[in-house]
Amino acid sequence: MAIITISRGTMSGGRAVAECLATRLGYPCLAREVLQDAAKALGASEETVQQKLQMPPGPWDLLTRERTAYIVAVQAALAAQCVGGNLVYHGLAGQLLLRDLPGVLRVRLIAPVPVRVQALLAQHAHTNHAAAERFIRRIDHQRRRWVRLMYGVDLTDTTLYELTVNLESITLDTACVMIAELARQPQYALTDARRQGIADFAADCARHLEEIVGARS
Amino acid sequence: MAVVSVCRGTRSGGQAFAECLAERLGYPIVGREILQVAASDLGVTEAEVTRQFDRAPKVWNRLAATRHVYIVGVQAALAEHVAGGNLVYHGLAGQLLLRGLPAVLRARLVAPVAARVRMLVEHDGMTPEAAERHIRNVDATRARWVKMMYGEHIEDPALYDMVVNLANTSIDAACAFTVAALRQPEFEVTDEVRGAFANFRLACRVKRALVTEPDTRRLPLEVAAHGGIVEISGSAPLLSTGETGDRIAQITKGVSGVTKVRLKVQWFDPYP
Repeated sequence: MAIITISRGTMSGGRAVAECLATRLGYPCLAREVLQDAAKALGASEETVQQKLQMPPGPWDLLTRERTAYIVAVQAALAAQCVGGNLVYHGLAGQLLLRDLPGVLRVRLIAPVPVRVQALLAQHAHTNHAAAERFIRRIDHQRRRWVRLMYGVDLTDTTLYELTVNLESITLDTACVMIAELARQPQYALTDARRQGIADFAADCARHLEEIVGARS
Repeated sequence: MAVVSVCRGTRSGGQAFAECLAERLGYPIVGREILQVAASDLGVTEAEVTRQFDRAPKVWNRLAATRHVYIVGVQAALAEHVAGGNLVYHGLAGQLLLRGLPAVLRARLVAPVAARVRMLVEHDGMTPEAAERHIRNVDATRARWVKMMYGEHIEDPALYDMVVNLANTSIDAACAFTVAALRQPEFEVTDEVRGAFANFRLACRVKRALVTEPDTRRLPLEVAAHGGIVEISGSAPLLSTGETGDRIAQITKGVSGVTKVRLKVQWFDPYP
């Protein structure tokens, strides 16, 4: 049994894969819930937390390390959820927030822009094709820049993940079957040592968050 | 069942992964030996084909289209195996040679350089420095080869159906979930898929016949097959003899399995 993070571009079909996976494995499936917990801890709105995890930081953010407070809050909220054990997280930056934890199965799902544009148009009939494509490219650019500025890595680098699946050619069902099978492999099992590691990590994150909240108030 | 193409850097565990898949699925497995078959079909030495695949082309070489002949030769040799339906291919450029075909799983394996260096040190007795230099050199050459021949970046995940990082995942685990994927309906070799494989083989045979004839080897022609009907498109210079089209048709008709030839070549005057 395992902790799985799903990284994906907006409208890539990642949510459907995450939900399929959670159902198949009987795990909880989280994304927004983690942001809501973080927002509560910081006394901020969920939108603010989401914006801080998506929009590239400006010079002021970098100088004051203001952005770090939000990252720590989300990391602490996610770590607290991980203490429970099995989990599918398909929210922002999971593969980076949990990068210090061994045994996390980090998955990236990709899909070509035209497919994602069609998915967006299907959901928002009033949007035109050009605007949909602009929106997707802008979000991709922002997330990539955010990751580069905050962690110094390239979001699309396949070595950041255990598995990258191309949803242009692989169906959602097959992606779900593949990832579930990988999650059942011994190297992703939650052993007692790993559970202890997660508990320690969550305690460290909570302590760090407390210090930051204390300093802010 | 299906065709699997495994692309990997040198000493990334690709061969072990391919062997594990072939064993679990009971599929035939083909690797670099495909170069030997291609060499024999083209009437050149294996060393020459290997050289064309292992070194990045120089500009003059690319312009001379020499490299194209070898790619066509290897693709045609691979197509003969693919037509059988089930195959694990872990030779060079499978993701590009087989692109567009249904029921093909294009996998790429990546592994940390440190692990690959360790493999070379332990198995080949190289020093860590020499091993790392070798790995970086081979990786760079292959990346350049793919860039020059196909205009693609070898590490672009969009070229593959899946990219597996062997840093934390064992070869057994990678093999297990790949087998699970291959049992899904999209990788079933239906009659339609068999038809696509047979068409691919016939088109490759025709391409090989065209590049091995001096009259047609330099023409940038596209070949598509449907049943026994072969359609040839592209552009070719209009020569005063007016015999190029006849020659293309004659060579094509000489390929086993071709029942009809449709020429859709755009002719142009090479002397404006």
